[in-house]
Amino acid sequence: MEADSVPVSGPALRMSVAAAWDKVAAALVSPGCLQEEQGLLDSLVLLGDHGLDQLLGSWLLETLQMCLSSSVVPEFWSGLKQPENELEERDRALVLLAAFRTLLDRLQPSLDGLEQLGIWQEEGRGGLSGLGPRSLKERAVTIIRSLLLFSPDPILQERVLEFYSRTFSVYMSQQGEQEERGNDSPEGRLCQGCEVLTAQCWCQEALEHLQELSHILSKLQLLERVSSESVTSILHKLMEQRMERHCRGEYECSFLVNFQEWLELVLGWLSKVFDSEADADAPTSTPGAAGDQSRGCSSSSSILKQWRCHMQQFFCRIYVNMRIEELFSIITDFPESKAAIEDLKFCLERTNQRQQLITSLKSAFESRLLHPGVHTSDILTVYISAIKALRELDPSMVILQVACQPIRKYLRTREDTVRQIVAGLTGDPEGCTDLASELSRGDPVTLEMQDSDEEGNDPEDWTPDPTDAVPEKLGWKRRSSDIISLLVSIYGSKDIFIDEYRAVLADRLLHQVNYNTAREIRNVELLKLRFGESHMHYCEVMLKDMADSRRINGNIREEEAKLGEQEQPLQFLSAIILSSEFWPPLKEEKLELPPPVSQAMETYTNRYQKLKAMRTLSWKPHLGSVTLDVELEDRVLTNLTVSPIHAAIILHFQEKSSWTLEELSVKLGAPKELVHRKIAMWQQQLGVLREEAGGRYCVVERGSAKEKPERGVMLIDSDEERDSNTTTQSEQREEKLQLFWAYIQAMLTNLDSMTLDRIHSMLRMFVATGPVVTEMDVNELEAFLQRKVREHQLMVSAGVYRLPKSS
Amino acid sequence: MASQNQDPAAAASSSAAALKANESGNSATRGSVSKRLQQELMTLMMSGDKGISAFPESDNLFKWIGTIDGPQATVYEGLRYRLSLEFPAGYPYQAPRVKFVTPCFHPNVDDQGFICLDILKDKWSALYDVRSILLSVQSLLGEPNNESPLNTTAAELWADQGAYKAHLQSTFQK
Repeated sequence: MEADSVPVSGPALRMSVAAAWDKVAAALVSPGCLQEEQGLLDSLVLLGDHGLDQLLGSWLLETLQMCLSSSVVPEFWSGLKQPENELEERDRALVLLAAFRTLLDRLQPSLDGLEQLGIWQEEGRGGLSGLGPRSLKERAVTIIRSLLLFSPDPILQERVLEFYSRTFSVYMSQQGEQEERGNDSPEGRLCQGCEVLTAQCWCQEALEHLQELSHILSKLQLLERVSSESVTSILHKLMEQRMERHCRGEYECSFLVNFQEWLELVLGWLSKVFDSEADADAPTSTPGAAGDQSRGCSSSSSILKQWRCHMQQFFCRIYVNMRIEELFSIITDFPESKAAIEDLKFCLERTNQRQQLITSLKSAFESRLLHPGVHTSDILTVYISAIKALRELDPSMVILQVACQPIRKYLRTREDTVRQIVAGLTGDPEGCTDLASELSRGDPVTLEMQDSDEEGNDPEDWTPDPTDAVPEKLGWKRRSSDIISLLVSIYGSKDIFIDEYRAVLADRLLHQVNYNTAREIRNVELLKLRFGESHMHYCEVMLKDMADSRRINGNIREEEAKLGEQEQPLQFLSAIILSSEFWPPLKEEKLELPPPVSQAMETYTNRYQKLKAMRTLSWKPHLGSVTLDVELEDRVLTNLTVSPIHAAIILHFQEKSSWTLEELSVKLGAPKELVHRKIAMWQQQLGVLREEAGGRYCVVERGSAKEKPERGVMLIDSDEERDSNTTTQSEQREEKLQLFWAYIQAMLTNLDSMTLDRIHSMLRMFVATGPVVTEMDVNELEAFLQRKVREHQLMVSAGVYRLPKSS
Repeated sequence: MASQNQDPAAAASSSAAALKANESGNSATRGSVSKRLQQELMTLMMSGDKGISAFPESDNLFKWIGTIDGPQATVYEGLRYRLSLEFPAGYPYQAPRVKFVTPCFHPNVDDQGFICLDILKDKWSALYDVRSILLSVQSLLGEPNNESPLNTTAAELWADQGAYKAHLQSTFQK
């Protein structure tokens, strides 16, 4: 600095150092009064000579600080709080703005002075050196920030928040974002933006205020501090409101595009808030600061970029949150809710909330679906929907696999699961209707693909499993998305389904009177595609039995037709001939049919034996159906279709009009309880019989008019019990428990005493399990053992079971 | 009958070698033997016979514990006997080793619990199973073969049923 030639050449006037200081200080603090250039220069040189030029910066900052803490800051806060009483929103905005305006006015001189000094320093005027304008300004700003916001009053946030919210809605309404609000009342036409009567609309004003405020704040570099929080909270709140209003409960249209458009609008507003930084810089920038300006621009656009990311992220998160809550409903609405699922998929990929989703969905299933009040077919329907929806959501099937585990586990405990699934598959109206279409949809080619090693996919399309995949030896090939395979695999083997289907098929076929099997043939063909030919072999034989029966029946009829008139037997018997090996075990019931019927059956057998040498028929008299007319004195019941035992009962009343239960029971060779149950139909539903004193039943020849049953075709198919011809699941279960009990007794007889776990592991080891005898889990076993303890068939002490001594 | 039921593999090779092979217990035959034993267990469980019972001792399917109640209307009525059954790897072509665990005072049972019963020795056939063994042993209790006694005291005492029963009752220990 000493080398500088200009100032040293000749200070015209020797000034005192104090005077020089005053002069420079005046030039800096009140730039309005322009000093003549030379004098100023001399003063600077003088100060420089005395080494005081370094102090100028510190002094200015010190002054700024003093001024701030003594007057500016208190003034700002009191200005902000000034009007204690309630004000209009519009006035509050003005107050806010005014406070900042004053703040800027107060600080402007110091800032200008600093700027001036900085410029001098940069130019090296009068040998001046120092930090330069940028860092001087930075320091000043730091001081302002720290003093001003050292203990901010909440009122500032409040006002700023209000102000931004207002300008936001003004901006949005100007951008044509129509919020549907019911404010179209004629007398109070409100402005969309500022929500006051249109006459007093201050929208434009608000926007101008916004610009000014942004300007001031950016000048003081307070923008980030003062605004970010408010802006964030406004945007979050609005986004949440918007989502509540538009998305909640609305699954049928995509919300993403709509959101993107809205986001662009919001960014427009944000640019108004934040972009002014660049504008503010532009006019004040010195020629050398071209770089600064471009930096200002890029910083404001990068701020916007940050905001965009932030908003998108936030949107995804709250969207996922909301949809997670609603996922159960979305699933039950599928496929109508497909749009929601797709949106969710998009957002879920951008947040790490899979775990949350799985956990929540699991508990939703457990609390809303998996309790005794829900019908099995409803559970299945939801499960099917879940499969469909979740395979859209997560093609890797991991969510499906993990979240639906409870459903599968629960379904295993329901007794009628298999029956329901099979009913669904075969298009039973009571079952889940989706399944039948699913069954007919499955084309064998894709099914085969699933089984084969060849995945048939382009290796390029391979994506790794998500991290939450349950590690499985068999890899994702096992995570099938095929609904039927998933359902069938609930029990781990398809045999149990095929057995159940056989039972259902047997029921259907046995209830047929006209050998019509078209529908069943179609079902069997479809199931063959699923389960493979070999598994459906038995069912095919059953269907063939039907066809054969029809043919044999036809032949026997022909034979009979050739006979003479009087020799012709009663034309009422047609038989279904079963290959018993291939049919599921049929219920065994004893029944003696009345003589005419058994004679007819005998004749039929003889004819059959003639047709098929070396073979004979073994009748199941309790199966089948009988169509008959009942003629009474005053009425005729025609075309009643009833079970053989019903028919047998009423036939006996033909020969004798009054029977006791015992007599009937002996005649029919059936237990009394059964006869009693069956007689109830004639007694109560049809009013043909009545019970008299002494347990006698007799025919009601004259029915009272009011209880005349409907005439005409009547199909009385079943009475109180489920009228299945095959052994039921609960019977099977009972059988299984009996078997287990035999094992348990044997092991306790020989090994004296055992713990629950030991019994369980022994059972697992030694009971050969199959489709009927499935494994028993520990809880089930414990319950069973407890029952036996209650029935005194078992003793337990200290967790050890033993048999009672006496046995 | 016995010759028909011999293990074809054992019949082909020398009996000593066969014995050795069986002892070593090759896994394939062991598997099929396990299956047979499991099946026998099932049959026994389903049969529901009163007074006889048996069950694998632990997770080893080749070692069972059996329980026999003394047949009714005999001196053994009311007494319950434990047996052990060990199945060789050559089962069912070789007879299982069956002995009393509960000490049994009986003409055909020695003090070690070994049983002299033809079907467990030379009359063994693969058609027999655990159930038939237990039933045979049970009936043996009431109908001893006094021709070839292992326990001569018991055989001599058998004639006096009253004294025999008194002796049984006094010596029976669980």
